[in-house]
Amino acid sequence: MAALTRLLESSWTRVVIGVAIGVVLVLLPLSSPAFTNQTITRIAVFAVAVLGLNIIMGYAGQVMLGQIFFVGVGAYAAAITVRSDWGAALGFWGVVAAFVLAVLVPGVMGLLVALAAARLRGLAIAMVTIALPIVGVPVAKRLSDITGGSQGISARVFGAPEWTGLDNDQWQYYVVMTIAAVVFALAFFLVRGKYGRAFAIVKENEAVAASMGISPYRYKVLAFTIAAMFGGVAGFLYIAAIQFTSPETLSFGHSIELVIATIVGGAGSIVGSILGGIYYVLVPQLTNAVNPNATAVVQGVIVLVVLFVLPGGLASLPRAIRRLVRRKRGPDVAGPAATERRTPEGITPGAGDALPPRENEERQNR
Amino acid sequence: MSTLRRRALGLAAIAGVAALVLTACGRDGGTPAPEDTDGDAEVVASPGITDDNLLFGISTPLTGATAGPGNCTADGAIAYFGTKNAEGGIEFGDGVTRTIEIRKYDDEYNPERSAANFQQMVADGVFAAGIGLGTPTNRAWRDAAIEEEVPQVLVMTGDPLFNDREESPWQLGLVPIYQQEGAAFGEVLAASTEDHKVAILFQNDDYGQGYVEGFKEAIEGAGNIEIVGELTYEPSAPSLEGQITELSATGADVLFHAVSVVPRAIENLQKAQSLGWFPSWFLPSNTASPGGVLTPGGAVAADGALVYPGIYAVSFSAAAASPPFQESEEGQAYFAAIEEYTENDGFSFPHCVWSWIAAQILEQAFMEMEEPTRESFMAALLAIDGFEAQFLLPGGSINTTTDGLPAVQDVVLQSFNGRGYANVESFGG
Amino acid sequence: MFNLNTFVQLIADGLAQGSIYAALALAIVIVNQTTGLINFAQGGMAVLAAYLGMTASNLLIPVVGSFAGIIGGILFAVGASFALGAALERFVMRRFMGGDPDTAVVATIGLLTLITGLCGLIWTYNYIPYPFFFPSGASFMVGGIAISVWSLTTFLTILAMMLVLQLLFRGTKLGLGLRAISINSRSAALSGIRVGGLLMVGWGLAAALGAIAGVLVAAKVQLVPDMFDAYLVYALAAVIIGGLDSPFGTVIAAWGIAVMENLAAAYLPFVGHDLKIAVPFVALFLVLILKPEGLFGRKVVVRV
Repeated sequence: MAALTRLLESSWTRVVIGVAIGVVLVLLPLSSPAFTNQTITRIAVFAVAVLGLNIIMGYAGQVMLGQIFFVGVGAYAAAITVRSDWGAALGFWGVVAAFVLAVLVPGVMGLLVALAAARLRGLAIAMVTIALPIVGVPVAKRLSDITGGSQGISARVFGAPEWTGLDNDQWQYYVVMTIAAVVFALAFFLVRGKYGRAFAIVKENEAVAASMGISPYRYKVLAFTIAAMFGGVAGFLYIAAIQFTSPETLSFGHSIELVIATIVGGAGSIVGSILGGIYYVLVPQLTNAVNPNATAVVQGVIVLVVLFVLPGGLASLPRAIRRLVRRKRGPDVAGPAATERRTPEGITPGAGDALPPRENEERQNR
Repeated sequence: MSTLRRRALGLAAIAGVAALVLTACGRDGGTPAPEDTDGDAEVVASPGITDDNLLFGISTPLTGATAGPGNCTADGAIAYFGTKNAEGGIEFGDGVTRTIEIRKYDDEYNPERSAANFQQMVADGVFAAGIGLGTPTNRAWRDAAIEEEVPQVLVMTGDPLFNDREESPWQLGLVPIYQQEGAAFGEVLAASTEDHKVAILFQNDDYGQGYVEGFKEAIEGAGNIEIVGELTYEPSAPSLEGQITELSATGADVLFHAVSVVPRAIENLQKAQSLGWFPSWFLPSNTASPGGVLTPGGAVAADGALVYPGIYAVSFSAAAASPPFQESEEGQAYFAAIEEYTENDGFSFPHCVWSWIAAQILEQAFMEMEEPTRESFMAALLAIDGFEAQFLLPGGSINTTTDGLPAVQDVVLQSFNGRGYANVESFGG
Repeated sequence: MFNLNTFVQLIADGLAQGSIYAALALAIVIVNQTTGLINFAQGGMAVLAAYLGMTASNLLIPVVGSFAGIIGGILFAVGASFALGAALERFVMRRFMGGDPDTAVVATIGLLTLITGLCGLIWTYNYIPYPFFFPSGASFMVGGIAISVWSLTTFLTILAMMLVLQLLFRGTKLGLGLRAISINSRSAALSGIRVGGLLMVGWGLAAALGAIAGVLVAAKVQLVPDMFDAYLVYALAAVIIGGLDSPFGTVIAAWGIAVMENLAAAYLPFVGHDLKIAVPFVALFLVLILKPEGLFGRKVVVRV
């Protein structure tokens, strides 16, 4: 048992597992049915969206209920560029331009919103972020000359080019997965580095952060902008995978669904973002197979059951198992308290619990 | 061997094995395209159709805000084919008798889900799909359906794009385009002998805009009509009473009420009279039901007289909530089928009857198609003319041969007389 | 063209509409006062309560007559709601107390999805009328302004609810206890307050209030599972603008939001009825910049 635990915890094992997964992911689309590829592609799209949300909610601790707005804006930027005359004329470079715009436009919007809102307290930021999708939908409808109005825009430019010999779904899979992998790698290094540590300190106690010379305002703005840019990338990938967008894409309901996916997957965790994407895409498909009339009930039950058993989200499963194992071993091994305070990945808490209780503050900040 | 080398070898071994296993599994090269029938060549059937049965997919909102009409869009067809299957099935044009299986998928009125549902339907091997509710939800997979050559037929949206044979070769709309319904009222109003001031309240999307477009086109040049107020509303808005208050101040005598949400229509009918405003109303086909909208809305006084000078609605099908329908033989057969094969009540939304009509149109196409292929099906579907489907209003028939028009092309302007609707030819009639 | 009559009518409409927002907002305030959580499922619980009331009324009316049947239905709805709210707290939400607030909030969203879905499964998504004392369209004129009986009833009910809550939280031991456990549950427990029991009471009370809101709204708009979804955002805005711990402020804010929306849509040409939904948020933003604890909230000091 101890040997197995040591084996599982060794970083070398992790590398092996990682490489094996990588190989599987690269070769999978060549041999699996189209629907599987399409599903995995969609999972990657929303995993990136959840990742952006995770940066701001899980790591920086700010409630953000408007992520879908940035996804939608990115999707629109990509679709409009690709369908425009100049974009279509540029061919491949048009698609690249679409990607760039899909990142920049939401990023700039996120920056502006953050500059205005980051000085407010938690609950206020939450409400401002709620405003984004809610006001975004009627605005998207008003600008119907650009956005195509309530009927939406179709953007089918991601057919597989002739020279690859791939099917459409395989090509889309590779494009989306490659971009997603790059984004995830970026995020991984971001949270392991000084920014990740700064986010964590701002999340725990802003006063402490300020006294350490870390400006909460600056880092909140940064986290917000990064989340918006990731959302924009997800929007581009959305167009690559779904090839259609409409004002409905930005609606508030989906923002809530993204938050659910983030928490159920595991906030403050890179792996959790992937699990969140899997949850977002697979659960409706599964509930459809079980009973198409009962999709809402089954989804609600799944959320509650997952959170009940694993309040830290699905990504905390290994931790939960470890705790169970440790507890079984005996009372001399003191495990952490039953109520789990989540410590984001990559940040190691100092010796002893030097952090102040969150209760009081969180009540104000909500 | 050193630990490092051992581990590197292990890694390579795993990678190699994984690669071999995966590439060794063959992959389906996608759906085989049906061959052209050239004389004696074997016809390859499209996916989703066997010698015993045919699979048809319906992606529509089964939960969420539009789930009321959404469930109806699936249940009408399910009930119809339930009875047909119980009778042994349908004899297709190629001589084989088959049962029809309808599979429904919930898209929660979310275009992303409906696009995913389409991919699922293809994976599940449906022969054709359609009858689903909504414009963005159907548009989301329209291009994909064209690319995969899967029929997307008899969709429940008045969006004209689905009827353009060149743009949408694999599509066909069921319900009249919104412009046509709006124009039907506009024509009658323009022909009226009196002057009219019109206030317009419309849904802020292609539905409402389509109605208004058709109406305005029909009244163009008519000297007796003046539009004195035009306001929109969002489908998710909790109340439209502010708009009614504003419009009541315009002194209009006609209210063009392109509203698709039933409770809002009820509230507006109540609000206008409480303000002392009694215009004539124009109601679209999905919010005109006497039992579902007009009576709760207080449009009928206790003595049976109309509170408003006129209530007009455009319709193309019989209303399942009306007594004549419920007392008729066919109506009772309809309700029996709904009761047996679905959980629906069959009359809360007109879409249940519309779906029943759609199923009949499908049956006609099945009976005419000579080969078990999607091409043959589409050809048969687009060649129906003069089919008097059950529950279409008398005088109306299905005609799918006209480019640019949906399966249902005849709309009738009706006027409510306190008990039921009757056809009218002119305003005030 | 400014019409005074229209202007006043729009205000009256706003007050009526705002009362619905206020009803939901008050329930949210109670839960927030006791647990510090925003309960996203509040609207869903109110809808379930209304469905239960409708079912009970329909069963009772043939037996005891219309008036008694309706009262019976409402009492059943309120009672069942109280029990349901308390049970939900004890068996579902208790698990998330003291942990990450985000998890708790998402759990309430999960509850909302589940409850709405259950209502849809049991009672379908068709619109069902709620039997009430008077027809929903009944109205009378006061000085040229149309006031519906329903609006007046709701307005007065909300006023009453607000006064009761204000008294409860500021004036009674129960209210004090509820506020204590939200500020610091450990200290409260040490002072002898039965935290668990009070938490259940808090949720039960909120649910009961929500039931009244649900019955009122159902009487006007007919029952459908997602009846309250459109109101949730407005209710949240009202809660924040008015102050998370002030029932009075919340109700005033709710009325204010609804009235401002109507007026902005009618008199500001660029706003229109599609963008009028931005109005509550603009107001929210301004209030939060100038007075972060809400118009009527108490400033909270945190020791670092």
